[in-house]
Amino acid sequence: MALLELRGVGKEFGAIRALGDVDLAIEPGEAVGLMGDNGAGKSTLVKIIAGNFAPTNGSIAFDGQPVHFTRPVDARDVGIEVVYQDLALADNLTAAANVFLGRELRRRVGPFSFLDHGAMNRRAGELFAELKSETRASDVVRAMSGGQRQAVAIARTRLSDAKLVLMDEPTAAISVRQVAEVLDLIRRLKDHGVAVILISHRMPDVFSVCDRVVVLRRGRKVADKAIARSSPEEVTALITGAKEAA
Amino acid sequence: MAIAAAAGRPDTPRSPQHLPMQLVGGWEAGLLAFMALLYLVGVLLNPTFFGSTDAISAVLRDTARYGVMAVGMTFVIVNRDLDLSVGSTLGLTAVAFSIFFSPTHYGMDAVPAALLCLGLGLAIGLVNGVLVAILRVPPFIATLTMLFIGRGLVLGLTGGKTIGFDLKAQGYWLFAMGETNALGFNNQILIFLVFAVVGAFVLAKTRIGYETYAVGGNEQAAQYAGIATKAVRIRGFMISSFCAAVAGLMNATQDKGVTSQYGQGAELIVIAAVIVGGAAIAGGRGRVIGACLGAALVVLIDKVLREGIPVTRTITVGGVEMEVQALAQLPPGAVPAFLGFILLAAVLIEPWVVRGNVFGRLKAWLTGSEPPPSLDPGGAAIVGVKTFGTASDARGVGARGLRAFLHRRDAAAIILVVVLWLVGMWLRPDFWGSLNNSFNLLLAFSEVALLSLGLTYVIANGDIDLSVGSVLALSGAVAAYVMKEMGGDPLLAISLALAAGALCGAVNGWLTTRFNLPSFVATLGMFYIARGLAAWIVSGRQLSGFPERFNLIGRNLYEVLSYFGMPPQAGLWLEVTRAVSVQTLFLLLVAIVAGIVLGATPFGQKVYATGGNERAASYAGVDTKRVRFLSLVFSGLCAAAAGVIYVAFYRSFNPSAGLLRELDAIASVIIGGGSIFGGYGTIIGSLAGAAVITLIRSLLSLQVILANGASFVLPQHWMNVFIGLILLVAVIGDIWFRQNNIFGEWRRRRQLAAAEKLRLQAGSKGA
Repeated sequence: MALLELRGVGKEFGAIRALGDVDLAIEPGEAVGLMGDNGAGKSTLVKIIAGNFAPTNGSIAFDGQPVHFTRPVDARDVGIEVVYQDLALADNLTAAANVFLGRELRRRVGPFSFLDHGAMNRRAGELFAELKSETRASDVVRAMSGGQRQAVAIARTRLSDAKLVLMDEPTAAISVRQVAEVLDLIRRLKDHGVAVILISHRMPDVFSVCDRVVVLRRGRKVADKAIARSSPEEVTALITGAKEAA
Repeated sequence: MAIAAAAGRPDTPRSPQHLPMQLVGGWEAGLLAFMALLYLVGVLLNPTFFGSTDAISAVLRDTARYGVMAVGMTFVIVNRDLDLSVGSTLGLTAVAFSIFFSPTHYGMDAVPAALLCLGLGLAIGLVNGVLVAILRVPPFIATLTMLFIGRGLVLGLTGGKTIGFDLKAQGYWLFAMGETNALGFNNQILIFLVFAVVGAFVLAKTRIGYETYAVGGNEQAAQYAGIATKAVRIRGFMISSFCAAVAGLMNATQDKGVTSQYGQGAELIVIAAVIVGGAAIAGGRGRVIGACLGAALVVLIDKVLREGIPVTRTITVGGVEMEVQALAQLPPGAVPAFLGFILLAAVLIEPWVVRGNVFGRLKAWLTGSEPPPSLDPGGAAIVGVKTFGTASDARGVGARGLRAFLHRRDAAAIILVVVLWLVGMWLRPDFWGSLNNSFNLLLAFSEVALLSLGLTYVIANGDIDLSVGSVLALSGAVAAYVMKEMGGDPLLAISLALAAGALCGAVNGWLTTRFNLPSFVATLGMFYIARGLAAWIVSGRQLSGFPERFNLIGRNLYEVLSYFGMPPQAGLWLEVTRAVSVQTLFLLLVAIVAGIVLGATPFGQKVYATGGNERAASYAGVDTKRVRFLSLVFSGLCAAAAGVIYVAFYRSFNPSAGLLRELDAIASVIIGGGSIFGGYGTIIGSLAGAAVITLIRSLLSLQVILANGASFVLPQHWMNVFIGLILLVAVIGDIWFRQNNIFGEWRRRRQLAAAEKLRLQAGSKGA
């Protein structure tokens, strides 16, 4: 049974059709590369799955249950986590505080609840160790490198034991050496049985970590095939429209 | 891309033949129509004044000064900056001219005096511009502080007195500037026309204007296109201050003298005029002609409101009924309150009425046809406009361990408190450490500290609350009015006063979160509205004589215990009860709760996250609008509590209560480690910051006994100048030392340079 299943999902903004009737199924533990040119509808699709937008038509099922997300929190509650392109971290807080942002560990004292910084630091440390990252939980994010920031963002998704992680251009703004670090992080997510949707413009990233590639063009799905049976040349042709469908 | 189209562009052409209203001058035409209507209202209400031709020329004459300033302000606002200092620049330049010219002071010739005064205007603009563009202080903070400093200088220079030079002025042609000419209208109107035409031409048709629009629209793009954006912004401030200086000259030449009140509150009229004239507070849009019409409109509103309606009252004198002619006027304070409303309404018109196409939808609703597509109103357009500021780059802040304390953001404030206290001890060992002085210090501290508690939340959120001083006055007025005029119970008075403060905070929060107004604009509106309402409620009078039970809130424990019939007898307990007052205990209680909530609970974490990166926080499921709303309400509540305490302590209420206290409170938070860009600030730090401000104020008013036995006291008029300077130093210090760590950067560069030198030396030896 597919973990996430989209049926005929479309989105209109006024008179503009950003996404039309996309079917997509993601299996547990699978990494799918989502590719397409600017304006092809990648971001719209991701935002629908993440609950930022409600689709104009079509249905979404997660874990076999039909779902209707109206806010990002709804998607997170069923186990979908998003790593945003610019990482959406609060620079002024520590790594641990960012990992736990919005779901802080609390210690109850009578009717009051207080933050449990100790426990949060410990747990975040464990998550970083699990991801084999050298990030320190009590460091302020402001002083961190791009790769370390990725680790913090990804550790956020591990915290809730997410079943599906959406990654929006995670390698777009970081150095070549850190790209390898991030790809390792993605592989580690797969090892834990987490399904990943990787949105990327970088062919080598998709071909090195994904099992399957989905190509969008002008709001429609034009290809959905196993990485092993495709090639970067074919995907490029699909993205640009040199090849109609595969 | 689809998303961009959906987000809605204001300039999406609806039909190709038909230019947008704002380009063909629809806005200006609407203003003219509205003005004609308003004038008719004026004629109906008060035919004796508005029916005469004198009225038109009086309105135009008063418009002239504000209009000249509005021309300059247009450049600043189109640049996406803000200049709150024009009113005090007007006052300061007028005073400077008078001091140079007046025979009682320097007795210079008229023209050199005028030139000096214009030069002073340019210099003030340069200071504003450098603070904002180069030192990266947010414009509303920089210019608000300049307002404060300018007012302080005006008071200091005039000593609060009037300077007149009626006799000497007769011999100089320059004074024709403020006179009525042979054609029967005032020359100021001519000057205004010249400024309007030149300003409109420069902004619309020259490279200077083009650069201004580019910088306001997208500074980064302008910079990439090779425009010296910093110079453009500094130029904007200089134009604005220069115009204010001209207005100051116009004022001084008209009245042939100055008072220390000149230009007070002028910035409100000028900014409202420019925004009413169609400029966007988000920058990049606005025209000089619109601003001039806006000035005329706002001045007209001001006149209509102030002029009053002639009424016939019937009074009975000694059993005989008499009819008396009188003017029914709005109470003092009503006018600024209305102008504050107008400012807020004008800011909201563009994003909500024009862009939201309210009229188009109304028409569709009336005719029953398909409504036009609703563009996302406001939305991303105005949010995030904190005018210019900088989110500083990520730079190392690492060190910990033994030096951890020194690296705390509030360390400087705590150290300063100790140092300043020791300075006081050194200056006046006989007096400083005494119980009496400590008691007074604690009292002064309580008010600033209470205001700074609420502000700590607001500033940590990345917002600002400029209205705390005014809210203090409003809640004090409510408490005083309820007890004095309505005969209310103290408990009722306190509840209503706190409710008034919470309401002000809620309105601030509602405007910022629901209407996406930048918080400095929303709270600036409240700054005028609340103070105006305060004066209105008490009719501008001082109220006193409240139940003693109420006044206990402002007393020390000794008096409270005595009131309840158990005065402390002797010993340590007596000393303690004499030094500690109810308000200090109240402050302590609020501070402890606020400190724990901010530092140790999930809510506090949400505040910091919202201030650090609002988008990240909202993605993480934090309801950032709620957090910001609650913080502003808390700030309003703190200000209200301070207002109640003020009334109880002084046993009276004066409408000028808490005047410009917001600067003290903002300075406290920033000195205590808060960042004007949000994300930082602790309660301990803010308390220490408030203590620093209190100590500085108290040191400045200390009577110092000099070596030769003479004593010296700093005149109180100069106090504002110092506090303003301290706020500036605190903000600049925060931006450059804490955020950008220029010392660390400098050290790093030096180390790199040294390493490079070593390498080169080694290389040359090797060769």
